[in-house]
Amino acid sequence: MTAETATEPLLSPEFLGKLERMELVSRKIFRGRMKGERISRRKGQSVEFADFRNYVAGDDLRLIDWNLYARLDQLFLKLFREEEDLRFNALIDASDSMNFGDPTKLRVAKQIAGALGYVGLCRADRVRVAALGPDGDRAPTLRGRASLPRMVGYLDSLRAGRNVSLHDGVKRFCALGSGPGITLLVTDLMDKQGYETALRMLVGRRMDVFLVHLLSPAETDPPLQGDRRLIDVEDGEAKEITVTPYVLGRYRKTLEAFIEGAKAFSSRRGIVYLPVRSDQPVEDVVTRYLRERGVVR
Amino acid sequence: MNWIPAFGEPWAWTLLAAVPVVIVLMYFLKLRRVPVEIPSTYLWAKTIEDLHVNSLLQRLRRNLLLFLQLLAVALAAIALFRPGFRDQAEGRQRAVFLLDASASMAAVDGEAGTSRFDEARRRIAERIDTMTDTDSAMLVQFSDRAEVLQPFTSDRERLRAALERARLSRRGADLADALTLVDGLAASPDRRAAPGASTDESSMGGPGKTGGTAGAGENGGPSENGESSENGESSENGGPGGSVPRADLHLFSDGGLPAATELNLANLAPRYHAVGRSEVKNLAITAFSADRSRNRPGKVDVIATVANLGTTDASAPVVLSSGDDLLDASEVELEPGEQTGIAFTLEREDLDRFTLTLESDDPFPLDDRAFAVLAPPRVVNVLLVTPGNDPLELGLTTERAAAICRTETVPPSYLETDAFAARSAAGTDDLIVFDRCRPTRMPRTDTFSIGELPHDGWSWDGEPTTPLVVDFDRTHPLLRYVELYSLLIFRGRALAGPEGFRSLVTADSGPLIAIGERDGYQDLVLGFEIITTEESGGTQANTNWYAERTWPVFVLNVLRTLGGAAEATGGRSFRPGRPVRLRVDATVDEVTIRRDGGERWTSKREPGRGIDFTETGRPGNYHVRSGERTVDAFSVNLFDRRESELATAPEVELGYESVAADVGSESRRREFWRWLLIGMLGVLVAEWWVYSRRVG
Repeated sequence: MTAETATEPLLSPEFLGKLERMELVSRKIFRGRMKGERISRRKGQSVEFADFRNYVAGDDLRLIDWNLYARLDQLFLKLFREEEDLRFNALIDASDSMNFGDPTKLRVAKQIAGALGYVGLCRADRVRVAALGPDGDRAPTLRGRASLPRMVGYLDSLRAGRNVSLHDGVKRFCALGSGPGITLLVTDLMDKQGYETALRMLVGRRMDVFLVHLLSPAETDPPLQGDRRLIDVEDGEAKEITVTPYVLGRYRKTLEAFIEGAKAFSSRRGIVYLPVRSDQPVEDVVTRYLRERGVVR
Repeated sequence: MNWIPAFGEPWAWTLLAAVPVVIVLMYFLKLRRVPVEIPSTYLWAKTIEDLHVNSLLQRLRRNLLLFLQLLAVALAAIALFRPGFRDQAEGRQRAVFLLDASASMAAVDGEAGTSRFDEARRRIAERIDTMTDTDSAMLVQFSDRAEVLQPFTSDRERLRAALERARLSRRGADLADALTLVDGLAASPDRRAAPGASTDESSMGGPGKTGGTAGAGENGGPSENGESSENGESSENGGPGGSVPRADLHLFSDGGLPAATELNLANLAPRYHAVGRSEVKNLAITAFSADRSRNRPGKVDVIATVANLGTTDASAPVVLSSGDDLLDASEVELEPGEQTGIAFTLEREDLDRFTLTLESDDPFPLDDRAFAVLAPPRVVNVLLVTPGNDPLELGLTTERAAAICRTETVPPSYLETDAFAARSAAGTDDLIVFDRCRPTRMPRTDTFSIGELPHDGWSWDGEPTTPLVVDFDRTHPLLRYVELYSLLIFRGRALAGPEGFRSLVTADSGPLIAIGERDGYQDLVLGFEIITTEESGGTQANTNWYAERTWPVFVLNVLRTLGGAAEATGGRSFRPGRPVRLRVDATVDEVTIRRDGGERWTSKREPGRGIDFTETGRPGNYHVRSGERTVDAFSVNLFDRRESELATAPEVELGYESVAADVGSESRRREFWRWLLIGMLGVLVAEWWVYSRRVG
């Protein structure tokens, strides 16, 4: 277990600069509450041309393309894309199991959530970055890049130890009345009750769910050998085990099966499954990996 | 492959069997597991979920450490069994190891510069190693006498200890004696002792005692059977009265043994393990004597015989010395089987001890040195009891005789006096001559009876006749230089002596002159008179002997041989280990015996007997002193051609069988326990390596 490095800022200014040029991509059409900077699939009032359509009685005469009428002697309505805001929720698993690795998985989770949250803030999206569990209740809903300090402040205040199951955390989040939007769930999925119900709950809310599965090297390649008494840091459960190469091999197979299971579960439900190792550079993860996977552009 | 367990006690086996059980238990009760905090046991739980099925078997199957530890324990346990195999399967469970400890076994011709005796002991030790707990063996060593070092036992440690006690002698060998003893002992059921038992005595006496000396009838033999049934012991093959299985007789020798063909080895299956080489170089001194020259007064004649008793040509310088003085030297060069005489004449009358050394590099130094002494000049006390015998008195007063004897002449009536009884009992005289008379009680000395029987052990064999000499024994010292075919005897009678008497002169009617033993003394008897007293009282010659040249020679021989004057010039030589009757004046009661450059002993006379000396184990010159005066001297030499013939005999006669040598087919036990222990150490190293990889 490694203590979180408090001295380094969560998001460096250079990184923030890169993020300002990016935007979150939603694969679903969400009706925004307020006009934002995001071009909606809905037609509306913006400067960006979208399409033409025939004029029908009752249409706003201001939208008739008179140049076209002069050429074709037919009335066409010129349609423009609507620009609206987007609801972006980032949920961070802040259980004790996230407090492993160097840097810790929790810090990496905060960085990823904070980075994407900042992307949303820059695009005037409604951004809410929250921890699962009680700490999530005090997470503010933010808008505009001026809210960055509040978001970072909240993230900095998060500490591991709120051991709530994924199911309970997501349920609590949904109960707060979060509407459709992009939901990024950053977790290690190490939940003995299973992650499936939690994800189902999010999908049921018609959210565009991105699942960032964070694993530390200690989990992918455990540095264990010999006779060990393994203690679960969350519930204190102990397992006595003699770690042999054979057992390690079995563990890796189990881990692979677990990842494959999560991946298959996600793809069946339209969830974007994003496995991330905690020792990968966060900038690289956000600017390259998440862009490739279509989370941002 | 066979196994010899190192443990005899059941508790030891229980303990051994418990070790792997404890190891397995410790694996399940393993207390020290390093606690480690991990993010979640979720995946680990899934991983070991199926491992928990058949957990016991899984742990055992997958645990390399446990496997290595059990392997190490198994190797150690197997090593405790002393696994090994013999080249040959041995037949019988009882064995007798007969170790030749005679002089020839001192020959150093082993590959590693070891003596034959050490080689034989090594081979016996190997055989002892091959024994199992059900085997029993006996260890006997022999030279000219046999000695049981360890009676039948199954305890290998005791056999090894007995083997350590075996000592080489410088004596000859008497195989028949040893075989008689061993065959008798093998007939008795052995008293098998458990390994480590405190005692395992047989009637021979315990280890360390010189139990089985010589007498076969006395120690071995059928009496053993009787005794064992008294003790109520029974052999495994039969109780008292039942038959005892034959035992293997393993003779470890170089084969330089007298044939022992007159024995029936009923209880033994003999095998002969030849020790030594069949090709060997050996020059030996087989005879050596020194004597004051009879013809040239003041000179000493030294005569030696050197023989090549090896199998190759040999030459060597021969050096004669006296103490540290080098006196003379010669050179011999001999082909195998040849011998040569060497004579030295020394003009040194002051010397009385000589050593002859063959400077040969042969493997048997014992026969390369010989010793000889000149005994001090000595006067023989002779008591002549005669009614008058001029020829005899003349013979005793010749120049040569007078020089070595002091004669006192008494009439036959002196025999009735107390004075005679006293000197007779004391053995004051060296020789008493009874001329036509006999004592009532025989004196404690040698006697010479003329025309009369000395005592009741003798008898006349027939009536008086005029005998004609038909044969006489030229080899006997009494008849040396004596020619008797011209002897005329007018009246004589044939003699019959006590058991073992020897006829020196045989006439047509029977033995005419004979000699017999009596309590260690010799009685010489003439069956005819020299001078006959006639009825008229006059005397008449009964023989023409006194007129012959041989008469004074015969009288001188009597003085030399019976009176002990012969030793007065050349010292006697004895084989090692033989008892010596010292020739000292009857007045001397205590003497000191000293070996040149060696030990010193004191010997006392037993009342009425001579002084015997038995510590003659080492070759050398021995001097007997009484006070400041040297009274006797003798030498001890090997002088045994059979011992000096070093070439290993290809076969020996054991009982009625001719047994060929077992050269090269020694049964040798090859053991693996050392390799097993090394393997166990290797496994332990591997176990430690695996452990440190896991824990570290």
